[in-house]
Amino acid sequence: MLNATVISQILWTSLATSSYFVLFAVAFALVLKVNKVFNFAQAGMMTCAFYSAYVAVRVLEFSGPVGFVAAIAGGAAMAFILERFGFSVLRHRRASPMFVFIFTLIASQFITYAMTMIFGTWPTTIFASMFWPVSIIANVAVSAWDLPALGATILVLVVLWAFLRFTRYGQFMIAVADNADLAELYGIRKDRVLMVSMLVAGIICGIGMFLYGTRAQVQPAAATELMLFAVAATILGGIGNLWGAALAAVVLGLVQNSSILFIPSAWQGFLLYAFLFFAIVLFPSGFHLPERSKRLKRTVVAPVVVSDAKEG
Amino acid sequence: MTNQPSTGLTIGRRTALALVLLSATSGAALAQQASYKFGLAMPLTGGQALYGNDQVKAAQWAVDEINKAGGINGKKLEMIVLDTQADPQVGIQAVNRLISVDKAPVFITAWSGVVKAVAPIANDNKVVELSVGANAPDIAKLGDYVYTTFPLADVDIRAVSNYSATTLGKKKAAVLFINNETGIGSAEVYRDTFKKAGGEVVAYEAYDQKATDFTGPLLKIRAANPDIVHLQGLVSESPQVIAQARQLGITVPITSYSGIYNPKLIEQLGAAAEGVIATSLAPGVDDLPAVKDYVARWVKEAGRPPNGLPYTQYLYDSPYLVAAVFASLDKKGTPVTGENFRKEMLAIKSFDLPLTGKVTFSDDHTVNKPVYLVEVKGGKWTGKAVVNK
Repeated sequence: MLNATVISQILWTSLATSSYFVLFAVAFALVLKVNKVFNFAQAGMMTCAFYSAYVAVRVLEFSGPVGFVAAIAGGAAMAFILERFGFSVLRHRRASPMFVFIFTLIASQFITYAMTMIFGTWPTTIFASMFWPVSIIANVAVSAWDLPALGATILVLVVLWAFLRFTRYGQFMIAVADNADLAELYGIRKDRVLMVSMLVAGIICGIGMFLYGTRAQVQPAAATELMLFAVAATILGGIGNLWGAALAAVVLGLVQNSSILFIPSAWQGFLLYAFLFFAIVLFPSGFHLPERSKRLKRTVVAPVVVSDAKEG
Repeated sequence: MTNQPSTGLTIGRRTALALVLLSATSGAALAQQASYKFGLAMPLTGGQALYGNDQVKAAQWAVDEINKAGGINGKKLEMIVLDTQADPQVGIQAVNRLISVDKAPVFITAWSGVVKAVAPIANDNKVVELSVGANAPDIAKLGDYVYTTFPLADVDIRAVSNYSATTLGKKKAAVLFINNETGIGSAEVYRDTFKKAGGEVVAYEAYDQKATDFTGPLLKIRAANPDIVHLQGLVSESPQVIAQARQLGITVPITSYSGIYNPKLIEQLGAAAEGVIATSLAPGVDDLPAVKDYVARWVKEAGRPPNGLPYTQYLYDSPYLVAAVFASLDKKGTPVTGENFRKEMLAIKSFDLPLTGKVTFSDDHTVNKPVYLVEVKGGKWTGKAVVNK
């Protein structure tokens, strides 16, 4: 069974299917880093994104690109609702982090049930067909879905990096992530930054769910299960480290799929939890690449704060 | 003297009260006699509701038709529907209510987890539990008061396995199954039957219930080079498994069970669905005119065929079975208790039902029915064979 073709196929498929997991992990890690919330309500954002695309493409019979935009809009809209009517209210009422965490769990289930009431529980896809044609490249089956999915994910990561590195709000987000109170003292409007952070996460979730929903069937409770992978990647990648979470999502997918070569396939899912268990016990703060990134953050944040104060 | 009228009035009031109570009691008794109740505990909400609601609708149609045709010797058949969410714990609450509050002597339920969880309640209270649609093989061993009208997993899986090895002449089979109770049990039945029929199982792979990618187990199967692949999954992931199998170059026929027998599979997979073989435990539209009319009614009233057509056929038929037993008890004037219902049902033993044909209760609490094999051919499900006749 173990030969170059099999190994190449597993590596390629793992890489391709890690695309949406990377996006979910990055969205989760971003909100955790900036908003300091373990946002399990992200599952609700993902569900909303999927069904927005579903309605656009399958119900209203718009084209795929419209469905893509609808997924982004759906994810962002739910992110807005959660921040505006949930997190923001809880912050102003000085709710404890544990209470906020419980709110995210409840919100996630609430959205799941609401979607169940509206769309039922029959699993469905964004396009009527979920079969993508395949090309054989160097004995490896490459589906027509793989390359666009990988391309979209890389593009999202590059745009996110550029957004955080070069735009004003991106830099505000890093400042708030570093020290929210200090950022406020310098005139950064924390609430607005936290809203932007949620919106960015919602957009990323929208893209991720569009990719996922064009390849696999989704029903309202599916996003909750997908979320676990994002949480695992965020913990393994080091809490507060976006790129670490993205890398961890790829590595987790590779390890999980490659494990088939050594262990029975039924144990693949178990591996995820085994990783989580040991990661939490042995590395409670995650794996860090601290020094370089911290220096980078400081050099980025300092001039931004000054410019914002001047504007204010 | 002065008290006399007062006493008379008091007696009068008491008499009136007694008369009111008497008439109310006898009214209730008459009302009770005027209808025969049975329970239906199905998932109306939650992950399986789409199937559950259609099955309840089918059963309600049957109840309405029975009552329209005169009911049970002129008495009304009453169905009490409760939600189980396909969750054993919720199922226990529903069945407790059906027995304690509604005093139903018989109830119908489905989904293996629920059927098993409520079985001790049925046995303890001597109330008949009819499992209609669940197929875990051990349902036959749940106790004296638990019966199934639906063939258990080993019937159709055994049939498709045997058919693959003998009629189709396949020598090497691969089995891919979801790692849960139903998947494991059914995969074992397929493997053992295939081996018994002289075939070899060259790959036997499970996948996790939460898996979103199936490349690993499918590559193992591809490496084993089977003549046929049997997939024992759920409706949620089975299309994706088949799609990935075809993408990875597994072109041999794929068999599965009744769970994938759905028009949506063809829509989702297109040409990749060609050659997929599923089972059905109920006659299709081409096999029985009544089924054709039944599907036409769905299309007319709901704008679509029912989800899980064969299951809804069984649910449609179940009130007819219950009504036949009630009618027999009523004719004999036997009190309608769970114990008497069971005795009468076993005494009648065989029932001719409108959409699924004849059902006969065996002593081992199982039923044996023909298995209809259907195959995707030319972009639609077509009848392939009827086995186990």
